[in-house]
Amino acid sequence: MSDERAVPGWLSVVAAVAGKDLRIEFRTRSRSFTMAGFVVLVGVLFNFSIDQALVRPQDIASGLTWITLILSGLIGVGRTFAIEKEDGAMSGLLLTPAPRDAIYIGKVVANFILVFGIVLLTLGVFGLFFRLDYGNHPGTLLLVLGAGALGFVALATLFGALTASTTLGESLLPILLFPLLVPMVVYGASASGRLLAGRPVAEVAGQGRMLAAFAVLALGAGAALFGQIVEE
Amino acid sequence: MKARTGWLGIGLAVLGVTGSVATLWMVFFWVPTEARQGVIQRIFYLHVPSAWVAFMAFGIVAFASAVYLWLGDERADMAALAAAEGGMVFTAIVLTSGPLWGKIAWGTYWTWEPRLTLTLLLGFIYLGYMMVRNATDSPERGKRFAAVVGIVGAINIPLIHMSVYWFRSLHPDPVVLKPDGPTLDGDMLTTLMIGLLSFTLLFFGLMTLRYGVERARHTLELRESA
Amino acid sequence: MTDDTSRPSSEGLGLHALRRRFGTHVALRDVDASLPAGLITTVFGPNGAGKSTLLRILAGSLRPTAGSVSWRGEKLDPRSADWRSRIGVLSHATHLYAPLGARENLAFHARMHGLEAPDLDAALERVDLLSRAEDRVSGFSRGMRQRLALARTLLHDPDVVLLDEPFTGLDSHAARLLEGVLRTLRDGRRTVVLVTHALGEGLALADHVLLLVRGSVRLDAPASDFEVDGFAERYHGIVDAAETGLAATASGSPA
Repeated sequence: MSDERAVPGWLSVVAAVAGKDLRIEFRTRSRSFTMAGFVVLVGVLFNFSIDQALVRPQDIASGLTWITLILSGLIGVGRTFAIEKEDGAMSGLLLTPAPRDAIYIGKVVANFILVFGIVLLTLGVFGLFFRLDYGNHPGTLLLVLGAGALGFVALATLFGALTASTTLGESLLPILLFPLLVPMVVYGASASGRLLAGRPVAEVAGQGRMLAAFAVLALGAGAALFGQIVEE
Repeated sequence: MKARTGWLGIGLAVLGVTGSVATLWMVFFWVPTEARQGVIQRIFYLHVPSAWVAFMAFGIVAFASAVYLWLGDERADMAALAAAEGGMVFTAIVLTSGPLWGKIAWGTYWTWEPRLTLTLLLGFIYLGYMMVRNATDSPERGKRFAAVVGIVGAINIPLIHMSVYWFRSLHPDPVVLKPDGPTLDGDMLTTLMIGLLSFTLLFFGLMTLRYGVERARHTLELRESA
Repeated sequence: MTDDTSRPSSEGLGLHALRRRFGTHVALRDVDASLPAGLITTVFGPNGAGKSTLLRILAGSLRPTAGSVSWRGEKLDPRSADWRSRIGVLSHATHLYAPLGARENLAFHARMHGLEAPDLDAALERVDLLSRAEDRVSGFSRGMRQRLALARTLLHDPDVVLLDEPFTGLDSHAARLLEGVLRTLRDGRRTVVLVTHALGEGLALADHVLLLVRGSVRLDAPASDFEVDGFAERYHGIVDAAETGLAATASGSPA
């Protein structure tokens, strides 16, 4: 081709897509309210479902946090492509020269911000409802949850794009996603469990590394394969 | 080409079936009984080779899927489909023989034994692979989606493997499960190896035949659309 | 259609033995055609003719089963990012984000094209939407959305404009506006491919005409060959003949 054409910068695309998703979420609040409500209700139901004379919430908080994170994250990320399907917005996006992996990463960033917000809410709600003790290293706890959330969001965004284009839709998402989340839950719940029990950071270093590796692999696979999924 | 695949498939399948029959004979009449578990331990010779085939099949699914996405060759997708169907069969064998063995030998159907857990998850990934293939309006997209599921699944399986074993090491089961036995003596090893070889041949036979069917279907489609 | 080597600059989009199959259904059957550069080519045809399929291949959304596309004599990969930076596509889906405003939609699209300082006001003015720039698209009528989509299509000044049934569902005001904007595209720089059912508007805008029936080219000629009055009859004649003599008809193009 003779004349030069403007090409969008990779990071510019990521920022624009993430910004657009977050702005839409801010305006419509379609996902955040549902997810937040879900978290609070889980806390309420949990309170009524256990006998606190026999079971200490503090002991199960770690596992429960991860399950809540996954289920509410599923609701939120599953919807991420519903917006794109309306009026064929995603198709329009794919007709531009914006690189597909940048679009993917932009969506992951937006979804991560949303999901991490839910993580904070979950910790807050459980702290309020069950007088949860955050352990000696709350910062590390957030880091662990963040690393897990990132891996989760990376896979959920990839498969969310896939299921959005199937006849079964979002109901297919748990079946595809849950087997792949086992490593995240194993290492993540173990690490957060120890931290909530007041254990030192050194004891969770191994789990942290595995969570980070999981996130990196998930992001890499997603970036490489997203283009294959959205192509018609 | 079609005839060759057909003969190859039948040949492999016949070998596989023969070997499997021989294995069964060895299992029931020849191999000595294991000391601790007794007769029920003989399931081992069917359980373990099936597990080996189930995972090997998935490796083929993942590799063929990657080739399909990279080169766009439909035959790679057909190979992946054929391997997936075969793999699912052997996965089912593992997931039925395992709990049966557990119930009879140790009194419980399910104990989160790492290998069995991993196979269960593999079963779900296979299920996802097949569901996704058929869940789209455009068959082309369905194949691509399935390929993605296969590839991501394969990347994940080593991680899942590490995590379930690590989890088990933290929470050792009071019932010490040593399905292999501490060591395998000569006859037992031989039976296991014959079983492994037979099931592998049987799988490849089935896979080749299934691949042949898929190619024939594809050729027919091409003819009808001309 | 043979290459006109005396005027190479007029060669625009070339379709070479283009074939697209969906399972057993063949949507495009060895299509050979040349859509001249700098002109508006209207692609006519009944339902199922393969018009949208053709457009999607040109837009890079769909891969052909066989055959190729060329641009200005060079082989083209419609799925490349470079090609996407050159084309503007308008289809009956608006590709807009309803919760965002008109200007916001354009601004986002500009960033996806790497445009540094796009003149969004001018783009909105061109489609008579400047007064509604800050309003959310969710409150727009169908006609207004289509106009905004048109503004978005032309924002990055594309060399090639692909339009898939753009007149669908438009009221007369919006349709007239669209026709007006499309006429301005006839500036010799841009190659426009217009797919439409609407015989009247389609022919009025056309410099060149392509008629597809059941995936084959039945007509490939300059628009000046046709009278507006007689065109509808000629069109129906060809379509009926093609549909009834399906197996027997050889692809006869008078060009």
